[in-house]
Amino acid sequence: MTTASEGTITQYRSWAVEEFRAEEEPYYVPVGDEVELFQAAWDSKVPVLLKGPTGCGKTRFVEYMAYHLNRPALVIRDGRKVIESEDNLPLVTVACHEDLTASDLVGRYLLEGEETKWIDGPLARSVKAGAICYLDEVVEARKDTTVLIHPLTDHRRILPIEKKSQLLQARDGFLLVISFNPGYQSALKDLKQSTRQRFISIEFGYPPRETEARIVAHESGVDMDVAMNLAKMAEKVRNLREHGLSEGASTRLLIYAGKLIQNGIAPRRACQVAVAWALTDDGDVQRSIEEVISSIFE
Amino acid sequence: MPSLPGWCPVADTLDRAQEALGAFPPSLQQDYEAARGALAPVLAPQELASWADDGVEIARHSLRSWEAAGEYFRASPGMLERLTFSRFREWTRTGVELVEASPALAGAYFRSSPASLQYLSVTQAPDWAAQGRSLYKGTWKSGSLAAQYFEVSPQVLPQLPLNQMRLLVDLVESLAGHSYELASACLNMSPDVLGQLDRPDRAPFLEFGSVVAGTAWVDARVYFERGPTLVRHLHPQQRARFLALAGRVAVGVGRLGHPYFMEAAQSLAEIDRDAHRDMLELAEGIAPTSGIAAMEFVKSAPEVLRRLRPEDLPRWQEAGRQILDVSPDGGEAFFRLESSKGEDIIEALSSRVELERVSELIRMYCKALTGADVAVHSAEQLAEKGVGWVDESSPTTEGTAIYLPPTVEQYTEKDENFAVYKVFATHQAARLEFGSFAFDYARPGRIFQRAAREDAPARDPEQAEAVTAMERFFDGFADRRLAHDIFTIVEDTRIDTMVKREYAGIRRPMSRLQEAALERRRPLEEMPVRQAMIENLLRASLDEGLRLHWPAELHAVMQRPLGILGRIREEGATVEDSGAATRVLYDWIRQVPNVELDEADWSEMTEGAADEEMVDIGPGSGDGQMESYQPNLPQGEEQPYESPEPIDFRGDFKPELVQLLMKLKNQQMGDGDTPPVQLSKEQLQELLEKSTEINITELSEGDLDESSGMFLDNLMKEVEQQIQQAAQQQAGKRGDGSDPEDSGEPLPEIAESFYYDEWDFRASDYKPRWCRVQEMRMEHGEIDYYQRTLSDYAQLVQETRRQFEQLKPEMFRKIKRLPDGDDYDLDGVIEWIVERKAQAQSEAKLYYRRNKVERDVAVAFLLDMSASTDEEITKHQPRPEGTDNNFDDDPRKYLSWWAQKRAQDARHPAKRIIDLEKEAAVLLIEALETIGDTYGVYGFSGYGRDNVEFFVIKDMDETLNNDAKERLDKVAPVRSTRMGPAIRHCIYKLKQTAAKVQILVLLSDGRPQDHGYGRDRTEKEYAIHDTKMALTEARREGMTPFCLTVDRAGHDYLKQMCEDMGYEVVGDIESLPRRLPSLYRRLTQ
Repeated sequence: MTTASEGTITQYRSWAVEEFRAEEEPYYVPVGDEVELFQAAWDSKVPVLLKGPTGCGKTRFVEYMAYHLNRPALVIRDGRKVIESEDNLPLVTVACHEDLTASDLVGRYLLEGEETKWIDGPLARSVKAGAICYLDEVVEARKDTTVLIHPLTDHRRILPIEKKSQLLQARDGFLLVISFNPGYQSALKDLKQSTRQRFISIEFGYPPRETEARIVAHESGVDMDVAMNLAKMAEKVRNLREHGLSEGASTRLLIYAGKLIQNGIAPRRACQVAVAWALTDDGDVQRSIEEVISSIFE
Repeated sequence: MPSLPGWCPVADTLDRAQEALGAFPPSLQQDYEAARGALAPVLAPQELASWADDGVEIARHSLRSWEAAGEYFRASPGMLERLTFSRFREWTRTGVELVEASPALAGAYFRSSPASLQYLSVTQAPDWAAQGRSLYKGTWKSGSLAAQYFEVSPQVLPQLPLNQMRLLVDLVESLAGHSYELASACLNMSPDVLGQLDRPDRAPFLEFGSVVAGTAWVDARVYFERGPTLVRHLHPQQRARFLALAGRVAVGVGRLGHPYFMEAAQSLAEIDRDAHRDMLELAEGIAPTSGIAAMEFVKSAPEVLRRLRPEDLPRWQEAGRQILDVSPDGGEAFFRLESSKGEDIIEALSSRVELERVSELIRMYCKALTGADVAVHSAEQLAEKGVGWVDESSPTTEGTAIYLPPTVEQYTEKDENFAVYKVFATHQAARLEFGSFAFDYARPGRIFQRAAREDAPARDPEQAEAVTAMERFFDGFADRRLAHDIFTIVEDTRIDTMVKREYAGIRRPMSRLQEAALERRRPLEEMPVRQAMIENLLRASLDEGLRLHWPAELHAVMQRPLGILGRIREEGATVEDSGAATRVLYDWIRQVPNVELDEADWSEMTEGAADEEMVDIGPGSGDGQMESYQPNLPQGEEQPYESPEPIDFRGDFKPELVQLLMKLKNQQMGDGDTPPVQLSKEQLQELLEKSTEINITELSEGDLDESSGMFLDNLMKEVEQQIQQAAQQQAGKRGDGSDPEDSGEPLPEIAESFYYDEWDFRASDYKPRWCRVQEMRMEHGEIDYYQRTLSDYAQLVQETRRQFEQLKPEMFRKIKRLPDGDDYDLDGVIEWIVERKAQAQSEAKLYYRRNKVERDVAVAFLLDMSASTDEEITKHQPRPEGTDNNFDDDPRKYLSWWAQKRAQDARHPAKRIIDLEKEAAVLLIEALETIGDTYGVYGFSGYGRDNVEFFVIKDMDETLNNDAKERLDKVAPVRSTRMGPAIRHCIYKLKQTAAKVQILVLLSDGRPQDHGYGRDRTEKEYAIHDTKMALTEARREGMTPFCLTVDRAGHDYLKQMCEDMGYEVVGDIESLPRRLPSLYRRLTQ
């Protein structure tokens, strides 16, 4: 970890991508056996695909797993291997977008002075560091990137760096995790079978009302009654999918609403801005969500 | 004649007179003698002589004047009773003057005088005569009209003072200027017409009549026939005012004045009379600016008053007046209710909420609550189905849809009325959400832990098997009605409590409705005891802490039911708990006799906490208790039991019927949890007869067998419909890619209706929901057509296909000189390094990137299928050689040419415009398939604003299959061209696609034209403006509209219609098939 500017008061902290680790345990409430599944996948070096609607906790789950997956730091002392310390895994997260190319992930030459200098991309760095590399919304990226990850996801676990004519063998601990939201992407942006079939797939849904309320209460600080109402409201709003709503209200939005409520915003108003208006621009749908909100909150 | 003294000239005169009269028919002499006999005693001799002379003078005046003289003689005795002789002479002189004009006129004058002058003062007589005289214009027709005047006078004058009669004369005179027949008919009707009117209304009626005669004389007869009835509908004090207003307006608007009067009067008749004054005051406020608007205001008033409270009307009028000040046409459209602004203002002012406007919102709300695809409809629709529900205003549900009253206007604020809807909908949705209809006979509830089965009495083995759990449950009660009433109260209590618990936000409006419901309850004192107990239970269900009114000595009897009701409110209660509670309550309440409470010590009690034992409902519980209360129970004659009046917001509750519908549905679908059970007709029949939820007699008239048969038919129809809907929803979810084969038989093609506004350029406003577009699929024709066209144009097809292939974008395009990118661009790097070496400053833009280029185009083709496209286009064909029409006047040459031409035409029938439109479409479709753009091909025609036909040949999301090709064959000329709505519907179609580039191509053969598309058939402006507006709307949506016409005269209106948008006139129509694809290329490049 390095501070941004030496000698001045540090306003922010920054890390090299492969050095980032969660310091505190991320809050995550397991809904099913996803923790065990992920653990097993990591142990056996099987890449993981996380499927689920936005804001249901995929990213948080990966953070949580990275924190809990320990990689022993091996040190040779007196001719014997000793476990010196256990360290949680670094987590490299790449949010994929439609202009994300292979070289954005692997690395490229940059000009420096009159020379060129190779800079590793995040994928190459996590391969070297043995980190979990999390490609969020992978289908958004260009097709060439998905092909790039193929050799990393099978028994070879290598990353070819074409421009340098190198092959990079992944360090222990490296795991490729991708996420994919089947809900709103058009058929065009479906994952290719050849890519899909390289991952085990863990499906995420919205947590049950009780669990979701607990999460909301924890994350936003509202009391359990309010959290239950928020979760109830989300459940109702999720019934409206396919009605101009491509996705239901996410847990994340509920947490936002909870935070607003915690900061003194009236619940109806908080839900209006955090849920109804955030979800859709369609006036009719907005109005019906608002009616649901006003039925649940006084 | 001077009278000489000493001589008796009088007798002489009289004799001479008699003699003179001898020259005339004998009847005249008889009249003379009779009159003379009567007059001799009252007149002085000289007077008598001058009287006789006058008579002779009249008789001698002209050929037929002796008849007038006869009338004179006959009228004289009567007249002299009333007049002094000098006045009598004046009267005579008037008559003599009339003889000068027309003897017949004079005759009528004399004849009518005795009766008429009864109603006139002596001095008025000359005026009266003069009025009649004024009608005479020297012609035979005018003479008889004037004579008629005198004839009707005795009937008119009692009703109309002479000065007002002048109005009638003016009116008649004015009509006579156009038609004597009409004038005479009106004059004839006048006594009767005036008789129908109240005295003060007569003059105003005639005054407006004069205006009508002046502006629209043809309408006068109608006015006389129907006017009085219309006027009588008005408030007595407002009639004159209304007629005056109508008159002022008519002066301004001419011919339209009278129709406006009629329509406005009819409208006023629909409004409460007491409101007429305010209404006219408002209309008078408009009239100075525009008479038409004022009358339109009155015409629209009943409709507006259905939506606005009377006190809001001035604000509506004021809004309209402001528009009127700016634009007369706009204001008139406003008051005619043909303006979107007007509609918005009414909507804003109105506190009423219409289901139509909120049903989509409520539907989504209910879907959110229940998670099921519930439809929301008006309760009227359910009543129409005849499946057991009859109330058209009560909210209810039959298990798949929620039915609500068509409007709510209980409160003065819109929000409050909407809240009423919301409470209605929430209660019904809660029945679905909290399982009111999921009652299971064998499942125990959670509070009481008892299943209905455990408590039911032994079943009669003879009895047919119950169809549903609910039926089985109710079968266990001897008094089914009582059981149903108790179950309804208990279950509604449970639902209300659940709603209030789950949906805190709805508590307040719901409590308000509960309070309102409580206020409307009938007084308890009037009811017999058992009924009062049920009533109290119902009241307690509306308000948990309610202080109940109840006889003190019976408190203990009421305590237990209240305690049980309280337990139903506990969290976790299910519908089975309601069932168990019903069982206990029924057994308890049944023991209370239904007798009058004569003397009771009324006091208050609350639900309160009952002790454990009281609310225990296990077997045998409470058995002995009632006996201990026995002495307190009143005695007397058993009264018939009546169900409590229903609670508005809870609506109709028919669990038995809903379960039956569900069962039938499952049986039909055969995919329920239970294996399909065949229900026998007898079972249904029995259910029908015993159920208290259905009242066959209310459903229809006729004998029981017939109506129950009909009911069963309706029921089955409803079930089938529900199944179909469910199937459609399923299909909808699967998307259009699903195989049409699985849905079995193809469903009949139903036209789907869409409503669009229409632009009224005069009013600068939209006419709301003005046009109905009926979308339907074109019929299937022969596939050969498509193939034939392709082979006919084989050369051109190849060409266009090649051209279009070139349009296909390269997938990636390399973009150089970027500050960041995939990799270095070597040229750039070398250049940059060279520049650096040369010490030049240059930016380090050294990278390249491959950018993906996607073609994302959707296009809608709209083909004009108006009748005019039927026109043949032979005239553009070059004449075959050797036919220079020079036949040298040799008929044989001509005949042989003609025969040749006929034969040729039969081989190659002349092409019509539509044929070329179709061929162009075929070519374009072929071209588009190579390029992969999304496209739809549509045709339109129709007649009138409510029937714009929109034919789908190939929809946007359809792939080009044989269906579409076959449909193209059927494109044929139909009727008119109302372009606006067709374009608007295309916009809707295009909006469904998510393409970045959206194009709308309109292919027509002429200007827009339709019935009612403009002020009259010849007006072109209106249609052009509406079309232009529709095209502008397309542009506003980010689409590219383009008009292509084969009308050579198209330039003038296209220029106006499309202004800066693209358009083209294809001069040589035969080039259309070639032109269209190349045009398309240009549009999308």
